[in-house]
Amino acid sequence: MNELSVKPKLAAGRFSAFRPSPRLIRGVDLAGQWAAPIADLAILIAAAILAPGFYSPTNLKTIVIQIAVLGIVAIGQTLVLLVRSIDLSVSAVLALGAVIVVQTTSGSSTLVTLVEALAIAAVIGLANGLLVSKRQVPPFIATYGMLVFVQGARLAVSKGQASGTVPDFLRTIGFGQLGPLPVALLLWLALNGLFLLVLKYTRFGRWIYAVGGNPAASRYAGIRTDAIVIGAHVICSVLALVGGLVLSGYIGYVDLNLGSDYNLNSIAAAIVGGTTFTGGRGNLFGTAAGVALLVLLLNLVVVLGLPIHWQYVMQGLVLVLATALQGFRQFLLSR
Amino acid sequence: MGLAMQKEKFGETSRWRQVGVFVRNNPSILLIYGIIALMCILASVLNPDFRSASNLFNILRQSIVIGLIAIGQSMVVLTGGADMSVAMVARIVGLVVATIFLASNSSVGLIIPLVLLGIAVGALLGGFNGFLITETHANPFIITFGIANILRGVNLAISSTPITGVPDAYLNIYDAKIGIAPINVIVMGVIWLAAWIFLSRTKPGRAIFAVGGSERAARLSALKVNWTLAMAYIMSATFAALAGLFLLSRTGVGDPSAAEGMDFQSIVAVALGGISLYGGKGSIIGTLGGVLMLVILNNVFSLLQVNIYYQQLVLGMVVLIAVAAYKSPRSA
Repeated sequence: MNELSVKPKLAAGRFSAFRPSPRLIRGVDLAGQWAAPIADLAILIAAAILAPGFYSPTNLKTIVIQIAVLGIVAIGQTLVLLVRSIDLSVSAVLALGAVIVVQTTSGSSTLVTLVEALAIAAVIGLANGLLVSKRQVPPFIATYGMLVFVQGARLAVSKGQASGTVPDFLRTIGFGQLGPLPVALLLWLALNGLFLLVLKYTRFGRWIYAVGGNPAASRYAGIRTDAIVIGAHVICSVLALVGGLVLSGYIGYVDLNLGSDYNLNSIAAAIVGGTTFTGGRGNLFGTAAGVALLVLLLNLVVVLGLPIHWQYVMQGLVLVLATALQGFRQFLLSR
Repeated sequence: MGLAMQKEKFGETSRWRQVGVFVRNNPSILLIYGIIALMCILASVLNPDFRSASNLFNILRQSIVIGLIAIGQSMVVLTGGADMSVAMVARIVGLVVATIFLASNSSVGLIIPLVLLGIAVGALLGGFNGFLITETHANPFIITFGIANILRGVNLAISSTPITGVPDAYLNIYDAKIGIAPINVIVMGVIWLAAWIFLSRTKPGRAIFAVGGSERAARLSALKVNWTLAMAYIMSATFAALAGLFLLSRTGVGDPSAAEGMDFQSIVAVALGGISLYGGKGSIIGTLGGVLMLVILNNVFSLLQVNIYYQQLVLGMVVLIAVAAYKSPRSA
C-alpha cells in the first residue's frame, strides 16, 4: 500500500545520486538570466581595448541598425519560444516581404503593397500555428517545411533574381535618422515597449506565459491554448516581415541571400537572453541583451579583421553555450 | 502426425494474422510505398527512360548519401531528439580526408587508415554531441544546430576551395561494379538490413525505442538511458561520416559545399517514413521509403526537366502535406 503510493518522480529520484544544492540552483538561474547583459558589457570593454575602430560613429550606426533588425525579428521569436514552439521560417518571410515590396512598387501604390505583404506574412504565421497546434506537428519540422515552401515560392516568383529598387520610405526607415537617432532604432524601441506591455499587462500576454509554462493546466483553466499558439506565430511572422523591410531599406537592394542567417541568430538571441525552449520562462529585456550580444560579437569579428568564418563559429558557440546553460537551468528548476 | 499438421496450420494462420497486425500498425509505411509505386508508374508513363536498368541503379546509387545519413538520423529521432549536425560532420570528414590525401601526394596505402580516421572523427563528434545533450539536458535540436554552425566555420577555415589530390583508387568506392550492379548499392542494401536487425532484434536497438517512448519508464527499468542516448548520437555522426567518405569518392575532390541541406532532408525522409518525431515509434523500413521517395522525386524532376525554380516549391509542398497528414499525439 505504502510502496504503491510512492510518486514516480520520487521513485526516479532514488536512482539518480545527483542532488543539487539550493545555492547551485539559484546560481545557475541567475546566470541564465544575466549572462547576456554581463557578456554585453564585457564585449564593450574588450572592444575599447582591442579595436579602437569599434567606436567610430559609422560603425556604431551599423551596429545599432543591425541590432534593430535582429531585435524586431527576435521579439517574435521570443513570443513563439515562450509557447514552446519555434519558428524557422522567419528568414524566408523576411526575404519574401522585401521581394514583394521591392518588386511591386513600380506598379501599384506602396500602401497596397505593404498591406499585401503583411497579409501574406500573417497567412504564413497562421499556417505555422495551425500545423503546430491543430496537427501537433513538431514545430521545427513544420516551420522548416514552411521555410522550404516560402523560399520556393520566392524563387518561382522572382525567377532567381530580384529586380526593382527599394522605395524611398523604406530607405528612410532603414537608414534615415530622426535627430541623432536612427529611425530603425526608434522603431525597435517602440515595438519592444509595445510587446513588453502586451506580455505584462494584457490577457493575451499572461496567457502566453501560462500556455508555455503548462499547456495541460492552461487548457483545464479554460484558456484556448491553440489560439494563443496561433496568435504567437502570426505575430512572429508579421514581425519577421517588418524586420525584412527595415533590412532591405538599410542594405538598399534585395538579393537571394537576404537575411538567411536570421533563423539561427534570432533563436540564439532569445535563448542567450534567458528564454528557455521548454516555454513559459523568459522576457524581452533578456532578448534585447541577447540581440546586442550577437550583433556586437559578429561586428567585432569584422572590426578586428578576423576571417569571416569566425562569424559562424561565434554564432554557433553562443547558441551551444546558451542552449547548454538554459537546458541545465531548466533541468535544475524543474526538479 | 495430426499434431504436426495442426502446428503447421496454426503457424500459417498466425503468420497471416501477423500480416494483418503489420498492416494495422504501419499504415504510414504502406502509404509511403504506395505513393512510391504510384510515382514510379506515373514517371515511366511520362518518360520511358525512367524504367531503364541504368536509371534504376542510378536512383539506388543516388540514395546512398541521404540513406546513410537517414539511418543514423532515424536512431536519434527514435530517442525523441534530432541531429542537425550530420551534414557538417559529413563535410568535415570529406575535407579532412582530402586534405591528408593532398599532403601525402595521393598515397594509395593511406586509403584504409584514412577511412578509419574519417569514421573516428565522426564518432568523436557524435560522442561530443551525446555528452552535451545528456549532461546539460539541452534541447538536442537547437544544440546540434549550434554545433553545425561551429563546424561550418571550421570547414571554411580548412578550405573554401575544392581540395584535389584524392587517389584514383579511392574513386572505385563509387565506380566499382559487379556486372551491372554497383558494389556500393549492394553494400548499402546490407547496411539497411543490418540497421533493421539492430533496431528490431537487438537489446541496444530496443533500448532506443524504450528511451524514446518514455525516458522515465526506461530509467525505472534500469536501462542505461544516458548511454543509449549518447550511442544514438554517436551512430548518427558515424553514419554521417560514412556519407562524407562516400561523397568524397563521388565528387573526387574535398568539396567545401558538400552535403548542404542534408540535415533537414534526412529528417524529412525520417518523418515521411512515419517515424514519430516525438520518439519511440516507427520503423527503419519507413525511413527507406522516405529516402527512396525523395530521391525518386529528384530523379523525376530532372527526367521531366522541371524548372529548378519550381522544384523547391514542390518539395516544400510535399514536406508540408506529409507532416500535416500524420497526426502524432503528444505524450504530455
